[in-house]
Amino acid sequence: MEILMAWRNIWRNPRRTILTVFAIAFACVLLIFMLSLQAGTYEVMIDAAVKTRTGHLQVIAEGYNENRKIRKVVADPDGIAAILDQAPHVTGYTFRANGFALLSSEHRTYGGMITGIDPIRESLVSTVPATIRQGRFLGPGDENAAIVGNLLAKNLKIGIGDELVVLGSARDGSIAASVLRVKGIFSSGMDEYDRAGIQIPLSHFQEIFAMGQAVHEVVAMCDSLWTVSRAKAAIRERLPEFSGKHRLACLSWDELTPGLVQSIQMDLGGGLIFYGILLVMVAFSIMNTFLMAVFERTQEFGTLMAIGANPGRLTKMLVYESGFLTLCGIILGAGIGCLLTLWAQHTGIPMGEAEGMLRQYGIPSLIRPSLSLVTATAGPVLVFLVTMLTAAYPAVRVHRLKPVDAMRAV
Amino acid sequence: MKKHYRRSVIMCIGLICLICLPPALSHAGEPAAENLIARAWDYMRGNTSVSVVHMTVHRTDWERKTTIKAWTKGRDHSIFRIIAPKKDKGNGTLKLKRDMWTYNPKINRVVKIPPSMMSQSWMGSDFSNNDLSKADTILVDYTHDIVAKETDREFTVYVIKSVPRPDAPVIWGMQQLKIRSDGVLMEQAFYDEDMEPVKILTTTDIRDIGGRPFPRQWTMRSMDAESEQDYTLLEYESLTFDTPLRDSLFTLNALRKPAR
Repeated sequence: MEILMAWRNIWRNPRRTILTVFAIAFACVLLIFMLSLQAGTYEVMIDAAVKTRTGHLQVIAEGYNENRKIRKVVADPDGIAAILDQAPHVTGYTFRANGFALLSSEHRTYGGMITGIDPIRESLVSTVPATIRQGRFLGPGDENAAIVGNLLAKNLKIGIGDELVVLGSARDGSIAASVLRVKGIFSSGMDEYDRAGIQIPLSHFQEIFAMGQAVHEVVAMCDSLWTVSRAKAAIRERLPEFSGKHRLACLSWDELTPGLVQSIQMDLGGGLIFYGILLVMVAFSIMNTFLMAVFERTQEFGTLMAIGANPGRLTKMLVYESGFLTLCGIILGAGIGCLLTLWAQHTGIPMGEAEGMLRQYGIPSLIRPSLSLVTATAGPVLVFLVTMLTAAYPAVRVHRLKPVDAMRAV
Repeated sequence: MKKHYRRSVIMCIGLICLICLPPALSHAGEPAAENLIARAWDYMRGNTSVSVVHMTVHRTDWERKTTIKAWTKGRDHSIFRIIAPKKDKGNGTLKLKRDMWTYNPKINRVVKIPPSMMSQSWMGSDFSNNDLSKADTILVDYTHDIVAKETDREFTVYVIKSVPRPDAPVIWGMQQLKIRSDGVLMEQAFYDEDMEPVKILTTTDIRDIGGRPFPRQWTMRSMDAESEQDYTLLEYESLTFDTPLRDSLFTLNALRKPAR
């Protein structure tokens, strides 16, 4: 009975109802789309950082992530490999060693970071092999070969087949020097790395930097972002067995790139404020509608009470009314929001001008929102809660009405 | 009357003293800070110098010794060459004014050190490339003030504060030098722009080397080092001044020539 009355009541003033439904729907669409967009951006940022640089997990000498001294090494990489082989969720791992050195071409000299990589294992973990723009990635047979970041190659004025001189300090303090031949040029999309990074075969790195069998990072990938912490716990448990001169630590991507996590938190914080404002505005517009509905129907409520309806039933009816209104808006909004997001996910959103700034976080120029159960439902659920809360006020107010006064009210 | 007379005599003497003494004082007692530094630098280098130095880079868990032979001529020509250990033998560094090159015999290449790398460590030590190549910058890029005087046995030690000129291409906010009156450099402290000390060079074991009192040990300590045990020590094995050196010694060609 109340449900039927509520349904009829909300269509007594179709224009107002439709406007309110649209307001709710609009809030839902915006929330779903923006949340998905943010989630999509973060996923891409994390993915870019994880796949070009940090991996999901790293085993390193304690403190190496803060102060990359060449002497802070993982002395027994094979032992760590044995742990990783048994650790849950780990899908692949590789070894890397890093050194800072002068990189000199025939024309110019720059300081840069040399990473020694295992050419075969690297492709299990990193996207760098897939970002080769010219030439080829390192192969198992390469010795004094290098792949060079595209911006560095441009600065040094070198191309495929050219010579590149490396001059730096080795692990034992002696002078590390080598002449490399450029085999490929990569463009990871991370400007910072493309401007300073070169990669050479790990064996050659260990030779020129007097590393012996030691490496600096054991980089591992997990089957998804969500299983990283479980894998980390399992690895940490077994690390003490292998700690030699330097204690070893196992860090996850968020600990390795605190800057990335902070920029995500900052962006999310800004987003949350925006959503808060949006919800407050929707709340006021709903409240307005419901207050109007109660005030202009005072006579009607008076009559209903006079013929025996108790205030409880009236409240029930009003709650049903606001419920219908909100549900209509949410269903409409969620539908449109999901469709819009899916469409944007399919085509991508070009970022145009902002590209330069985003590139430093490794965000490509085309952003795809990512619709998930969380981003699709969080917005509508919030809107539902807020509107029902605001609608409760007029519904409770009905209790205060006196039938006789109410019938006489204008 | 007699009293009056005596007073005027005293006044006369006083006047004469006033007229005569100030220039004498400023000559003998208060040498200009610039001159002190210039003299100290020339004292260290002579017209030319040839030296053999042991460099020890010390860290808590690690130490490395290198032996370097160095030639200098005038204020801005120098060439360094590693003569031991065997692994690094033949590596050389040439500096002419602000420019610096390094040579590696293993790859037989000369690499020019770019300006952006000048503040990096030289051969893994606590000395930077700048410390070597711009060692004379203090004479050109700074203005100096004597801020204090100390006594060290029979010598006066001048404490000089050197502030870079406004447009000078230097990375320090200030340097503080301690120079003994005979020209021996006792200490050189490098401060950043917040006037916090970054690293301090101290000299010890002053003895007769190359025919003049000269500190045999030079220790550079970084203030941000992980422990007290982190330092770089230079020890002179031999040092001779004013041997005639050809200009052709300070060229890229000479840098490439391995055996000498």
